[in-house]
Amino acid sequence: MKARNKYILNRVLLWVLIVFMAVWMLFPFYWAVNSSFKSENQLQMMPATFAPRDPSTHQTSFYTRNYKAVFTNPAFLRAILNSAIVAVTVTALSLAVGSFAGFALGKLRYRGKNVTMYTILAMTMFPQIAVLSGLYAIITGLKISAIPSLVITYLLFSLPFTAWVLTSFFRELPMEIMQSAQVDGASPFQTFYMILLPLTAPALATTGLLTFIGAWNEYLFALTFTSVEPNARTLPVIIANFPAQFSQQVPFGEIMAAGIIASIPLIVLVFVFQRRIVAGLTAGAVKG
Amino acid sequence: MAKSKAGMSDLAKIEQRLAYWLLLPTFVIMIAIAIYPLLSVFYNSFTNNIFASSKPVEFVQFNNYLNLLDLTIKEVPPKVDPATGKPQINPTTGKIDYQSAVSVLPRAPHRFKQVGQFNLLGNQYVLGATDPDFIHAVWDTIVFAILTVVLELVFGMIFALIINANFVGRGLMRAIILVPWAVPTAVSSQMWAYMLQPNRTGFFNTVLWRLGLGDGQTPFLSDPTFQMPAMIMIDVWKTTPFMALLMLAGLQLIPADIYEAANVDGANAVRQFFQLTLPLLRGTIAVALVFRTLDALRVFDLFQIVLGQARFSMASYTYYQLIQNRAMGYSSASSIVIFVVLSIFAVMYMRTLGVRSDES
Repeated sequence: MKARNKYILNRVLLWVLIVFMAVWMLFPFYWAVNSSFKSENQLQMMPATFAPRDPSTHQTSFYTRNYKAVFTNPAFLRAILNSAIVAVTVTALSLAVGSFAGFALGKLRYRGKNVTMYTILAMTMFPQIAVLSGLYAIITGLKISAIPSLVITYLLFSLPFTAWVLTSFFRELPMEIMQSAQVDGASPFQTFYMILLPLTAPALATTGLLTFIGAWNEYLFALTFTSVEPNARTLPVIIANFPAQFSQQVPFGEIMAAGIIASIPLIVLVFVFQRRIVAGLTAGAVKG
Repeated sequence: MAKSKAGMSDLAKIEQRLAYWLLLPTFVIMIAIAIYPLLSVFYNSFTNNIFASSKPVEFVQFNNYLNLLDLTIKEVPPKVDPATGKPQINPTTGKIDYQSAVSVLPRAPHRFKQVGQFNLLGNQYVLGATDPDFIHAVWDTIVFAILTVVLELVFGMIFALIINANFVGRGLMRAIILVPWAVPTAVSSQMWAYMLQPNRTGFFNTVLWRLGLGDGQTPFLSDPTFQMPAMIMIDVWKTTPFMALLMLAGLQLIPADIYEAANVDGANAVRQFFQLTLPLLRGTIAVALVFRTLDALRVFDLFQIVLGQARFSMASYTYYQLIQNRAMGYSSASSIVIFVVLSIFAVMYMRTLGVRSDES
């Protein structure tokens, strides 16, 4: 009987912690959704209400014009497009180039492997801020426009990351596959793109997801390199410095609506590919 | 690869050549967008280069670095009462009145400004720097890094233990904690900034006011006392999930039979945690700590979006110098300082992690 009581107590405690954790993680989103359905008047209500309420009658009343405003805001719409173009291109390039490097690092034998491994690992930690002024000078010097600049400079963090994570995935593939392909007369490169690459498709998907999220969320380079080219601004830049169309104040209702819209693709990815994302993250950071 | 080059088989030679070819694009790109810009930043850090200005660029040796990092500590003498010749006591506070710090700080070779004052063994001292903003940014970034990493480790550990337990909806829970990690920092920073509004339109002021704490007017983001706790709170919320996932990966590597043995021995859960789990996770924790510290030290998005120019991190200060002041040389020097600090942590990280390759 005592053991049973203890079990129940443990379960209750566990569930208290689970609920606390879930509320803590999700509350800011709840608040953002709540605020995104409030009009300027409702946002000004003191104290703030936990659901959108009418200022005089206190009945719940949802205001949807923020979403309408956001979806008719040309700067925001262009930012979605810009973010998508940049993130997709960066992901594709990183996977293409990074899988070559990952294959070499994970499966091939060559002189100087340790040096290359350490270099790639060191590059995954390379601080963007350290080369900000240098890249800025190069970009303005060569007059590269903002979108290609972002694609090129994002490779600074996405390419080493992709190469590193793919290395650990390639290494896990059994050596026998390569050997038997070689016996069958396949060259190492044929083995790579005809046999190993299809086998690592899940790993490519995982790595691609993480690269996509990283590029979609990047702020420092986006802010710097689009400073003179407002049409190239990506979602984080637009959301951090939201261009008000009508209102004089900071349009928090619209910012919250825009933020939620910008987060939806990521939330969907997280829920659909939860396992893969976790596997990729920990492969990149924990395994050597 | 013990064999000498001459002893390599043809197949091995082909393999090696292929490896080099496959690595080439990655290395070319890295040289173009990391190494070359870094060298140009390094070069620029010794100049007074102002971006897009007609002023000729001059070589200024270490001046930028001295401006950033030069510190001095001077004793501040008390004001002396001319009648008695003794230190003057402030009648309202009952404490000694000190002379103004400006009078004791050196003006040459460059003017020092006050960073802060402190009292040690009854003497008043002033810490002076040429660029107090940068020193403040360095200090704030270090405090931010230490506190966020420690808090994230503790909460991440608790989270990991929870989601490692068996319960209905565990998969859902693992997805939920990924959400803060996945959303853009720009979005989460704005969400939190709105919750921290300086009146009761904000969530925190409303709740504190309801609980009878404060007047519902706390300016969380403009009052220096609350700025750092706010930054830390937002970062802990955003990054604890990542820490939890790293810890979880470590937990899952621990074989379950160890715990069974401990159960037989009658060790309770708390003891099992401290005597089994924690020591076994030492490697994971070390890696996570260094990795996160590295990340926290270069924090930019959060400071830039929420505090702007009210308070800087090292990275947002560098950005400010480059974009607002167009001080290419100066901002390059601050970039190099950050780079050096981070490199030390990167080396530590690689040492704890180690690289596994077939080469011995």
